[in-house]
Amino acid sequence: MFSSYLKLALKVLGRHRFFTFISLFGISFTLMILMVTTAFLETELGSHPPLTEKDRIVLLPRLIMKNMVADTIWSVDTMMLDGQPAYDSTFTMGKKHQNSYSSSSISYSFLDRYMRDLPGAEAHSFFCSDTRFDIFVNGKKLNFKALYSDASYWNIFDFQFLAGRPFQAAEVERQVPVAVLSRKASVDYFGTTDQVIGRSIEVDGKQLEIIGIVEQPSNSKDYVASEVYLPVTFMSEKDLSETGFYGPFKAAFLAQNKEARSTIQAAIEQKAQQISLPNPEEYNQLQLMSATVTSLYAFYLVPVQDDPEGALRMFMMVATGLMLLFILLPTLNLINLNISRAMERSAEIGVRKAFGADSGSILSQLLFENVVLTFLGGVLGWLLALALIYLINDSQFLGDTKLQFNTTVFLYSLLICLVFGILSGLLPAYRMSKLQIVNAIKHNNL
Amino acid sequence: MIQLENITKVYQTKVIETTALDNISIEIPEGEFLSIMGPSGCGKSTLLNIMGMIDEPTTGQVTVAGKAVANYHSKATARFRNAQLGFIFQSFHLINELSVIDNVELPLIYRRTSGKQRRQMAEAALTQMGLSNRMKHFPSQLSGGQKQRVAIARAIVGQPRIILADEPTGNLDSAMGNEIMDILTRLNQEQGTTIVMVTHDETMARKTHRLVRLFDGQQVS
Repeated sequence: MFSSYLKLALKVLGRHRFFTFISLFGISFTLMILMVTTAFLETELGSHPPLTEKDRIVLLPRLIMKNMVADTIWSVDTMMLDGQPAYDSTFTMGKKHQNSYSSSSISYSFLDRYMRDLPGAEAHSFFCSDTRFDIFVNGKKLNFKALYSDASYWNIFDFQFLAGRPFQAAEVERQVPVAVLSRKASVDYFGTTDQVIGRSIEVDGKQLEIIGIVEQPSNSKDYVASEVYLPVTFMSEKDLSETGFYGPFKAAFLAQNKEARSTIQAAIEQKAQQISLPNPEEYNQLQLMSATVTSLYAFYLVPVQDDPEGALRMFMMVATGLMLLFILLPTLNLINLNISRAMERSAEIGVRKAFGADSGSILSQLLFENVVLTFLGGVLGWLLALALIYLINDSQFLGDTKLQFNTTVFLYSLLICLVFGILSGLLPAYRMSKLQIVNAIKHNNL
Repeated sequence: MIQLENITKVYQTKVIETTALDNISIEIPEGEFLSIMGPSGCGKSTLLNIMGMIDEPTTGQVTVAGKAVANYHSKATARFRNAQLGFIFQSFHLINELSVIDNVELPLIYRRTSGKQRRQMAEAALTQMGLSNRMKHFPSQLSGGQKQRVAIARAIVGQPRIILADEPTGNLDSAMGNEIMDILTRLNQEQGTTIVMVTHDETMARKTHRLVRLFDGQQVS
């Protein structure tokens, strides 16, 4: 039966070529956008190096101190009046603009003192990703971002090494002058990624031996994106010994499993409540803003104050809304087009029903034909998406972020095609399946 | 084979009510070749459609092959129609995108017959109609008479007990019309198929066993 439907579906497409072109163009363009968006989200939020373990990672990028004072203070007194209780309330206005707020990344000493050995954490790392250096090579000035980290940084973030290795704990402790470069930095500095291991680079007046080259991570995540990776012990003494709460560091924790992430985040919150603030007259509340990889990504896009999970919810709501709108508009147009095309086939539907097709058979036939059309549009959309992805990557429109069209994206795309085909075909198919035979046959000639 | 009891069909709009059939009762025994005649708009096609269970009477009972029709829209009725009835239309109603043999196979698709068996049965029906050399052609490549023969092949491919033909020769010239009548007559005589035919043509009607005349929705003879 379905081979017969397939044959007919392809023949019907050839009947009105202009309408078929309009339908296919609309479908393929919509699906191209959806596929490229899926590829983008998969690249940004998918599990691949250096964030293969993203579902086990908790990040601590920020420390917040607040001073919250009530604007109005109410007090209620009870007194006896003529032997009966009477209530007397007074209120005091607080001083205006007493509330204050401050947030920043964290000092090494704070992390070292309070954030080791959290329950649920298999590993932790303290790193600084906000430094930039001017580096000169062959009369050319390069501006490189540097990330300082301990050795366990490489246990949490599984960078793909093109050559060499990460620095070890012993090398960090002994301040061995070594560095890891990104692919881009290696090409910019040495002109190649080949045979770079063992060569040296001058950073901040120090000669460092290159011991590893990593694949370029996406530049949308500042806790992994860098050109040069250096041992944390190469930071200035001042940065490492800063005793205040604020400093240039962030922390990352690798949970024992996905469920243990919430344990770590709860432990961080609990610690924040237990820590005494150095200057309570100035700030009376401490908050440690922890986040998952996904929620931090959302937070940078939708900055809900100090609440990455809230940002993620908002992001998901907005993204889902936009995607639905983007699918809905062409779906509605396609429904409209399908209804008018289907009405042309009323007589055919009537004849099929006269010869024994029930409403279910008609529904499945028309839906099948629409899914075939959608999949044809999907193939075209897929080809267009591949071309668009190539153009985006080649032009470096997204910087170091390279979109990929992998199996996950392909499967999501197939699902999108199927959903699109069913959605846009269901109403017209349902209407046609309910046609009265005698009216359908009279409607038009085949 | 077919029993119609007190069949009335009324078309109602917001403005007007039209009685297409008024209290018609007919009994058609198995193996009969019946013609229905009458002026345009007298209800002939409506009566045929009700016999074929593709239209629903306003009142009255329809019994086909011993089965009283209760629900005109059910799967069971669709299956019954597929098994017992074949239709031939004045305008042929072949699907232009399908080849001749694919058109003829149509009723067998809804019988869940295997592809191989469908093909064999369709080929046999087309051979019976003298169209074995036109199987891969498309309807647009056929003459009117050939199209109607394809339609007859489609109607008989499932070996139904009843064929309902709505002016099968109406769009054909007299030579082709006679050819079609001969085919229908042979089907009736050789296979015992019950045939009910709506026609305007007195000559064609006289070739059948019995003639029923309608006028303004009523049976006059």
